Amino acid sequence: MDLVKLQGVLDNASFAVLFITMLVYWVGAAFPNLPYLEIVGTTGMAIANLCMAALLGARWLEAGYFPLSNLYESLFFLTWGITTMHFVAERMSRNRLVGVVTAPISMGIAAFATLTLPTEMQASAPLVPALKSNWLMMHVSVMMLSYATLMVGALLSIAFLVVTRGQAVELKGSSVGTGSYRDRKYQLRKAGEPIGEILGSEMTAAFSNNGSVAVMSPPAIAVTLSPQRLSLADTLDNISYRMIGLGFPLITIGIIAGAVWANEAWGSYWSWDPKETWALITWLVFAAYLHARITKGWQGRRPALLAAAGFLVVWVCYLGVNLLGKGLHSYGWFF
Amino acid sequence: MTAKDTFLSKFSTLSAAPRTFFKRELVPFLADLRLAIALLLLIALFSISGTVLEQGQPISFYQANYPEQPALFGFLTWKVLLTLGLDHVYRTWWFLGLLILFGSSLTACTFKRQIPSLRWFSRTWNFYTQPRQFEKFALSAALDQRSLDDLAPLLASRRYRIFRQGDSLYAHKGLIGRIGPIVVHVGILVILLGGILGALSGFIAQEMIPSGNTFQVQNITDAGPWAMPQIPKDWSVKVNRFWIDYTPEGSIDQFYSDMSVLDSTGEEVKRKTIHVNEPLTYKGVTLYQASWSIAAVRVRLNNSPIFQLPMAQLDTGGKGQLWGTWIPTKPDLSEGVSLIAKDLQGTLIIYGNDGKLISTARSGMGTEVNGVTLKILELVGSTGLQIKADPGIPLVYAGFALLMAGVMMSYISHSQIWALQTGGECYVGGTTNRAQVTFEREVIGILDQLEQTDEPALSLVS
Repeated sequence: MDLVKLQGVLDNASFAVLFITMLVYWVGAAFPNLPYLEIVGTTGMAIANLCMAALLGARWLEAGYFPLSNLYESLFFLTWGITTMHFVAERMSRNRLVGVVTAPISMGIAAFATLTLPTEMQASAPLVPALKSNWLMMHVSVMMLSYATLMVGALLSIAFLVVTRGQAVELKGSSVGTGSYRDRKYQLRKAGEPIGEILGSEMTAAFSNNGSVAVMSPPAIAVTLSPQRLSLADTLDNISYRMIGLGFPLITIGIIAGAVWANEAWGSYWSWDPKETWALITWLVFAAYLHARITKGWQGRRPALLAAAGFLVVWVCYLGVNLLGKGLHSYGWFF
Repeated sequence: MTAKDTFLSKFSTLSAAPRTFFKRELVPFLADLRLAIALLLLIALFSISGTVLEQGQPISFYQANYPEQPALFGFLTWKVLLTLGLDHVYRTWWFLGLLILFGSSLTACTFKRQIPSLRWFSRTWNFYTQPRQFEKFALSAALDQRSLDDLAPLLASRRYRIFRQGDSLYAHKGLIGRIGPIVVHVGILVILLGGILGALSGFIAQEMIPSGNTFQVQNITDAGPWAMPQIPKDWSVKVNRFWIDYTPEGSIDQFYSDMSVLDSTGEEVKRKTIHVNEPLTYKGVTLYQASWSIAAVRVRLNNSPIFQLPMAQLDTGGKGQLWGTWIPTKPDLSEGVSLIAKDLQGTLIIYGNDGKLISTARSGMGTEVNGVTLKILELVGSTGLQIKADPGIPLVYAGFALLMAGVMMSYISHSQIWALQTGGECYVGGTTNRAQVTFEREVIGILDQLEQTDEPALSLVS
């Protein structure tokens, strides 16, 4: 089997599938009533995810080591990570808006890796002695997954900012439990549910995930307490918080794996190398985001702004540092 | 009024009552979340400066790159840069001061906020007895003709811990998610302490040792004030052999040093072949394979004894590494040749005194130069070792373990559900601290199932 040819097919296929998937998600967001688009979008993401997994697997077979040695492989691993995290976020939120932000970023990175990177930078290269260690897989893969997760979380924060522009918002979720309480305007709301003569099926509709309690008719016979559901903005806010909350342990473990590796291999767990420092900066920015959510004076849209800034910081950490071209963390660059 | 204002206004009473000041002013100031966020972002900001400005260069470098006219951004001259310590950001007093303030803030926050709040959540008697208590929850409902006996199995199947008292029920899961942030903070503090201990009592040394030589650690590049006990005095290390494996394409595959640790009598007590990613540790001191060099070349001229001539690294202006030496070909040193090597693969280039290329030679081969036979026997490599002891490592690793465990625990959402049956109705309400979307689905699912249970409430839902 010609692995190199197969890789060439797979990277173009992932790009093409992601491009179509992006259009599907966008059309789905613009025309929410069109049928089947949701399932088509999710299927597209799954196909792209599998294509990239196969691509990286072929690389692994060809080179004999975990395929994260150059920019091309690392970009595809990142895209694979983003599509994987897309499924986590989509399953968590049951909301198709997730794909509206994750599909274009995946498509963009895949396009860059497939079309813009020169061919010689796409070829797999032997590892330098310093990277020949089992720690490579542990450290680099966890770091890349954390970038992917933090990017998805930050993108959802940006989507939240777009959806809530010009509005006052209450945050949903934090370590101290912001946003579990009834809004003042909903206080003592008596939803019209005909308790007493109700049929089970009607209640199912009222409480099912798609139904809305507020639009229930006929008018109430008995008044009682019913749940106040999360709005779209609430959902975006909470899913973005949960994704960043997932990315944060990943980046912590990734940095620590790197520190332990560095200490075992070179005798220093922290040396303020630019990549290391930027990983710490990313960690600090998202730590600030997590703390902002529990701070009284920092409610509303401000934590999301911090997360949106975090999106840029992750990119600087991932690619910007390579422009300095120094140290073991350089994947090389194309100019 | 912000905490900062109170802090400053009460500063004058500092001498009067230091204990009151500590309790009422200093601790609340340090435990303020806005201070924590400011510190996180400030450390990030100053760290950026260290990645943008070149660190640890000689003064002449900054003089050349940051001239007084025109100053970068209108103010950043080399004088400003050096005065602020921007040439070694991570070791300046203000950066370390920021880290100490960060550590104090963490400590204050842990004791002032986190532990007291945990005490509340770990109670098991959070029962509600009034229907109005349920009105505050976003996720609450009143259900007709349902009882706590219907609800309990639904909660149990979702792994809630259930407590009941009379007509009240309290259930929760994921309390570990409330402990997580405390473990994270303790972990960071332990890492900081380990870092301080290492800086005070550790040392770093570098040695370049030719193959076959024995050495004691001497060239110490960095040592803390309490580092003396760590520096080895009663043992030495012999480099038995240093070699490099090359790939078929000629690039370096790996470099190895076969080393023996010798005690004060010269007896071998430990032997190991190290390479990059595989160091040798003896009595808390670790030797890492860091770099390499060419030390000497062993040659014979005609039938002379074997000469070992040292090779020196040549200045190539940063374009690759070259080593060279000069070999006399006449007893009065009036004539000779230069030998140049670029690696340990055995090929050398021979230049005459006029700088012209004479020929190339391989080790083990003889070459005719200036009428004599020059036989290259061997290139002798040196191993570049980084030698280090850091007594802070166990503490740092313990901190790493706590931090990793803590961040993973912190992902878990602490969900709590209250219920009360009174006046023929069953009130159910709940909160979670992190995963609102997932929790909403869970609670709606519970209410849904509760509605579908057969009346009267006898059968249980699996």
